[in-house]
Amino acid sequence: MIDRKVMVFGAAFVLRLLLICLFPSLPDLLTGRVEVSTPVNSFKRLQEGLFLYSGNVSPYDGGTFHQAPLLLPLFALLPDAKTWPLPTAIFYILVDLVNAQALVTISESGQSINSRFHSAVRKHVRWNGVSVAAWFLFNPFTIATCLARSTSVFTASGILFAVSNAVSGNSVNAMLALGFASYLSMYPALMFLPLVLVCYDRRTQSPQAPKIAPFILQHAGLLLASVAGLLGLSFLITGNFWEFISATYGFHLLVPDLTPNVGLWWYFFIEMFDSFREFFLGVFWLHLASYVGGLTARFRRQPLFVITSLLGVFAIFKPYPSISDASLFFALLPLYRHLFPLMRYTFFAVSAMLYSSLLGPAFYHLWIYAGSGNANFFYAITLVWSLGLSILLADTIFAALRDEWEQDNPGKQGTEVRQV
Amino acid sequence: MTTKQGDQASPQASASQPNESTVKSAPPPETPAAVLTRFRVIAAFWAVIIFLGFPIWWKTTSIYRAHLPIEEMVDWADGKACRPVFPLEIHLATPSMQSIEAQHLLRTTQHTLDDLNEFAAHHLRLKLANDSATASHSVDNGFDGAINAEGQAPDTALTVRLLAQEGLAAPRSELHAATTQLDVFYPPSQVPVPSSSNSPLSAFIAEELQQLYGEEKATIAHILSGHTGSLDSTSPRIAESISRRLRRSMKYAETYHLSFSLFTPGSEPSSWDIEAAVKEYLSPLLQAFEPISNFTVDTQVQLYANFAPTAPRPEYDETEAAWTFKKEDLSAFVNAAEWPLNPSIGNGPTINFILYVPDPSQSPLIVKENRASSWIVPQWGGVYLLNPTLANSKQGQVNPAHLSQDSLGPAFMTFSHQLLTLLGTPSTPSSLPLRLQTSIRIRAATLLLSASSTMGSLARLTESLPSIPIPASVASSVSTTLSHLGATCSHLREGRFGAALASARVAETEAERSFFEKSMVGQVYFPDEHKVAVYLPLLGPIGVPLVVSLLKELKRIAAGRKARRAAAAA
Repeated sequence: MIDRKVMVFGAAFVLRLLLICLFPSLPDLLTGRVEVSTPVNSFKRLQEGLFLYSGNVSPYDGGTFHQAPLLLPLFALLPDAKTWPLPTAIFYILVDLVNAQALVTISESGQSINSRFHSAVRKHVRWNGVSVAAWFLFNPFTIATCLARSTSVFTASGILFAVSNAVSGNSVNAMLALGFASYLSMYPALMFLPLVLVCYDRRTQSPQAPKIAPFILQHAGLLLASVAGLLGLSFLITGNFWEFISATYGFHLLVPDLTPNVGLWWYFFIEMFDSFREFFLGVFWLHLASYVGGLTARFRRQPLFVITSLLGVFAIFKPYPSISDASLFFALLPLYRHLFPLMRYTFFAVSAMLYSSLLGPAFYHLWIYAGSGNANFFYAITLVWSLGLSILLADTIFAALRDEWEQDNPGKQGTEVRQV
Repeated sequence: MTTKQGDQASPQASASQPNESTVKSAPPPETPAAVLTRFRVIAAFWAVIIFLGFPIWWKTTSIYRAHLPIEEMVDWADGKACRPVFPLEIHLATPSMQSIEAQHLLRTTQHTLDDLNEFAAHHLRLKLANDSATASHSVDNGFDGAINAEGQAPDTALTVRLLAQEGLAAPRSELHAATTQLDVFYPPSQVPVPSSSNSPLSAFIAEELQQLYGEEKATIAHILSGHTGSLDSTSPRIAESISRRLRRSMKYAETYHLSFSLFTPGSEPSSWDIEAAVKEYLSPLLQAFEPISNFTVDTQVQLYANFAPTAPRPEYDETEAAWTFKKEDLSAFVNAAEWPLNPSIGNGPTINFILYVPDPSQSPLIVKENRASSWIVPQWGGVYLLNPTLANSKQGQVNPAHLSQDSLGPAFMTFSHQLLTLLGTPSTPSSLPLRLQTSIRIRAATLLLSASSTMGSLARLTESLPSIPIPASVASSVSTTLSHLGATCSHLREGRFGAALASARVAETEAERSFFEKSMVGQVYFPDEHKVAVYLPLLGPIGVPLVVSLLKELKRIAAGRKARRAAAAA
């Protein structure tokens, strides 16, 4: 078993290294792709910020850097990525492997199948941790994200570590990891509620069970403290608190950069009347946030599944989504291998996503470089991509509901539909 | 209800699968837990909508309308807030007269002036120069002294010096071209005696002054009456010349860009002493204009500049021994398509001055009808045809390679004259400082009226479109405008025209800024009905399931309560 894990991890490492060595221009090519690099996770922009930072200028002065300031001292330690690309690449590969390790932990805990209130009907249909990790490591989206050195991988590790600590009962570590992820990208904070429920369900399996309300408050305080601590550190680095807040979180919230990406926001806000812009910013953010309450209430028995489906929601409805968000969603999906037999539109969803991932770059090329297409070409493809993801997500949710229903009504069969 | 393929694959499910008819006939009842879960889901969505959605909706779509002093604005536009008056103070310097005599002369002249004047808003006030020092002071300072903006004393428009001269039959006057001084020479015998109520000298002075300010008076009357009618007594000739001048001159702007271009169809001349020429001939004029407008100057040399292909070519005229353009062809002279003449640089209008040096084979080039070498293009600029003395070389006659400052002299004299015309400076009287002062008064009146009418338009706009937002910046601009309009009015009343113009400029700028505020006009063309089109496409699909589920849930709760009450009653 250990041998197999070493083999998978080693193969993933070698594959990435080979890709970099055989195609030295590949990382830079991927770094420039809009599908991989958004204004909030682009490695190019990080380097710009890094250059300003090492020149003792505020990294946010140029107006191109919008990432968390703590990344700067971290990358300042690594040698310059232009002249020595390998150390940075190896660092990113290691982060990927560490993420995979977290996935193995989540999978082996078996929380996705057996939790406090829930026990799946098809328990035996499952993959072991190494297979789940292999799905993650050999997913082309993950590889592309890794090669493009997008900083979303740090958010992903924050989230994965939060989940893996939560399922193994380290609720304090889980909150710290979630704090790290929220500090980097803000939106992971929305996963606090399901995550704290995972922690709580895990805790109640041990003898002394705490009360739920104080437990949640305690952990909320913990999360706030960890975020505040990181913000304090950032303040020490940048010196100008409001400048960095508005350049990072303000940028996430107000979406001033409408560079095309695979999401739904950019086109909508290009077309929107100026006077309604703020209102629809509010609507879009609320839309994103409103799933938390509904899903958590509906899947009170499977909080880990809520986290998975929320990641899917974020991959579709985030202001600056990239394929790295989709790859994170795909990383957690194999934990629910037992739901696959219940899903109805897998073929349609998978082909829609394949179709869009092949045609997306082509249409982008037609629009931007060849000039023979227009923005609608690319936007149509991003719509198909989001449609594929939403079908997959809705199908998964349907399958999970179906699974719960079968558990409640053993021996009965029917459909219960709840549209989200 | 469909059969699941996945279920067949799963042995557990298929083992416990009942026959289908049972399923179809009896869907299992909902457990109370499921009902509670559904209630929680719906409540979660609605809590987000009510506690976050509605405040955001309220906050982001409410229209901020700052308070505007509508009535005051309309009063300004209707001319109720201010009647602009132009009292000109004229000093009478009488070095060779007794004080009593001078006083008497002043009184009678003022009396005659008042009799002659039929336009009350513009009147001349005579005043004795207290001592020669004051007189010479204001004479020395000339124009600069007349426009002190900070001073509390009224500007001195003109100083009249009465000088006795032997051997004159009748008084005669002489206007200094470079200062604001009018010398009147009179035979000593004509000094009015205190007993007489009228004298030829005072009548002469009054007549002179009246003539001096005739055009200005007519222009101001023309502006104040809103370009419709003018003074009844204004001769048609003057009225014609005023409206002609107003048609030719540029619209007023804070900043004008002056662009001097040297065009030539060949390769020479390729350089000119433009910097020295501008400094020598133009800078003093621009400096004098400083209280009215700012100027920027840029220059260019364009070689191989051809006429437009469709434009008529110059013809050789034997009698004139020169190449000539017909007057009606001049409008096609400027090749607007190919000559790089910027329509506007930055945010002010550009005044173009073109110096054209014709090809040696077509030199000299003049206008056929009147042998002129320059003309004005109304509201655009001026053109000057420069025919330099040709130099001999191997290829025959060529243009000089360099235009010296001296050879540019006539051209720049013409340009400065054209500039005065384009800026709307009146053509009389002959003294430049007086014309500039007139210009200041005319501009102050124009700006006062234009800013007032902008205020009126803004008031009407905000009244008629209740849905447009009024940002706080507009309100503050409006209040600045109104206060500066008030200041302009009172400065005018007290005869401080320089200060009045300065206030009027601020008022005009602020008025334009408030009227053209971007965030305000954005929603002008956005009627309320269109909001449906904005809200429905996105919010409709989201809203319908939410509303329907809420209604269902409410119905269920109501039914449950009724059932409980019925049970309690039974």
